[in-house]
Amino acid sequence: MAAQTRPWRWQFLFYPLILVGLLILPLVVTNEYVLRIMIMIWIYSVACLGYNFIMGFTGLLQFGHAAFYGIGAYTTGLLMTELGFSFWPALAAAAAVTFIFGILMGLPALRLRGDYICLVTLAFGEIFRVTMQGWQSFTHGQMGIVGIAPPSVFGFRIVSNFHFYYLGLAFVVTSFLFLTYVANSKIGRAATAIREDELAATCLGVNTAYYKVLCFSIGCTLAGVAGSFLAVFLSTIAPSNFTLGETVLMCIMVIVGGLGSLPGSILGAACLIFATEFFRQVYEYRLLIIGLIMVFVLLWHPQGIMGIRAWQRHEAEGGD
Amino acid sequence: MFIQQLINGISLGAIYCLITIGYSMVYGIMRLMNFAHGDVYIFGTFVSFMFMVTYKMNIFLACALGMLTGALLASFVEILAYRRLRHESRVISMITALGAGFIIQNGEEIFWGVELQRFPSVFPADTFTVLGLNVSTVQLFTLVFTFALLAAFHLFLTYAKTGKAILCLAQDITTTSLMGVPINRTVTIVYALGGFLGVVSGILYASAYNVISISMGFAGTIAAFTAAVFGGLGNLNGAIVGSLILGVTQSLAGAYVSTAFKDVISFGLLILILLVRPMGILGEKKVERV
Repeated sequence: MAAQTRPWRWQFLFYPLILVGLLILPLVVTNEYVLRIMIMIWIYSVACLGYNFIMGFTGLLQFGHAAFYGIGAYTTGLLMTELGFSFWPALAAAAAVTFIFGILMGLPALRLRGDYICLVTLAFGEIFRVTMQGWQSFTHGQMGIVGIAPPSVFGFRIVSNFHFYYLGLAFVVTSFLFLTYVANSKIGRAATAIREDELAATCLGVNTAYYKVLCFSIGCTLAGVAGSFLAVFLSTIAPSNFTLGETVLMCIMVIVGGLGSLPGSILGAACLIFATEFFRQVYEYRLLIIGLIMVFVLLWHPQGIMGIRAWQRHEAEGGD
Repeated sequence: MFIQQLINGISLGAIYCLITIGYSMVYGIMRLMNFAHGDVYIFGTFVSFMFMVTYKMNIFLACALGMLTGALLASFVEILAYRRLRHESRVISMITALGAGFIIQNGEEIFWGVELQRFPSVFPADTFTVLGLNVSTVQLFTLVFTFALLAAFHLFLTYAKTGKAILCLAQDITTTSLMGVPINRTVTIVYALGGFLGVVSGILYASAYNVISISMGFAGTIAAFTAAVFGGLGNLNGAIVGSLILGVTQSLAGAYVSTAFKDVISFGLLILILLVRPMGILGEKKVERV
């Protein structure tokens, strides 16, 4: 809310400048490895934006995000390889399917308290992964889906990392603008009300059940879109792409970046991906270093790098 | 066959009990999902393993040292990673817990490597037949041990001053602190107890299956989480019931369906139970206060 009452003038210039910088970046840096890392950051950013909308804006705990990411990827992969769909209809189908699964998973959220929904979503994620592993005839089990065709935009085929970079950036910008719009709409206000105090929200006439499921599904849909992009980028997907470890990684990105802050999610994704890549050289100590970063960032700044302070159970000490 | 699997399941459930109790107790007091719990217990188990195998130490002394390490490590993690975040949103300490877990995992990797290793039998490996059913001494010891520890723990909570303080904390931290209970010390004791019980169960598990590996850490966390939710988070009797259900389900599913799907089946059962009883089997319906 503070952001609406206090206009940050520098913000109006800040984001366009960053965007321009990111648009120029691949023209300057032509290293394929760096581009690949950047593309992975775009994919995780889209998924994390959705994750943050569920956890940071609506306050629902979610531990099955990788499953929705996987549902998007598998829908796209199967439609494109088995039924010969092109990318855009497959993307739309992936978004629709994840949205529906989001509703199916969000419905138990109505009955369960926060921590129980956390385990139910975790269980859903594991069930999804094991099913994808075991269902040989449909998903080719452990081998996964191979040979997913690259997408094309207005007849222009996206093949190189250079192309994927811009497509990924477009995905991130679109998701970012979409969620900014949603967060400032009636839905976003309802979500914030539910997060802050569900009972109070009900008393004010917010249909909490409806908005909880809706917000959950919106977040899951973004994971599906990210998964869809992952499928065409890697052209091969397997159950090992969608483990609980992936969910945990996204969760860390969102929380280190800052709950309730959309730019924070992108920043968090960038930090974690860079950290994992950077510390690949000291492979034996990478978990140690990442663990230390997690603990000390949060001890120093409990709301994450860019998070809002509002979301906590105890009253803030003074201030607004 | 069925009863045989039931016995195996109960002994597996008994092992889960000890991990779950520590987990559920922390949850009951701090409302924290302690994702470092599994890593702490497996670290302690590795320490006993090291003393037993590398230094050829007396088995009981090695086990005791492992349990002590578990207790110390758990309290250390609490002081370092959770204490300052107690008044922040709970998800924050969930992530520092994960971070602490990563650090411990990395330590295990450096000290003991990532490979699966053979854990020596702590108990004499023997099998005897009762009414046509095979019961191994390990299972028997596990059951006796778990029961004795649970009984001791129950007595501790009911009669000891610290035990009573723990129960009070679970009800209301602020009020308890007003009654003069040293909050920080008691919370640390809770974590230490959880770590201690966890290592006991780790040793029992490792010697029952004769393996030890790093991956057992996170698997233990998930098992404890699942069992705790089955029974009702934060409820200690529920933790026991939940662990037994989890053990029996996994054992039966492994025997009758397939070992690959045993987790799917226990998770499926969990979702069903939660749909019928959202607060877990023994959990109390919480009245939301304004």
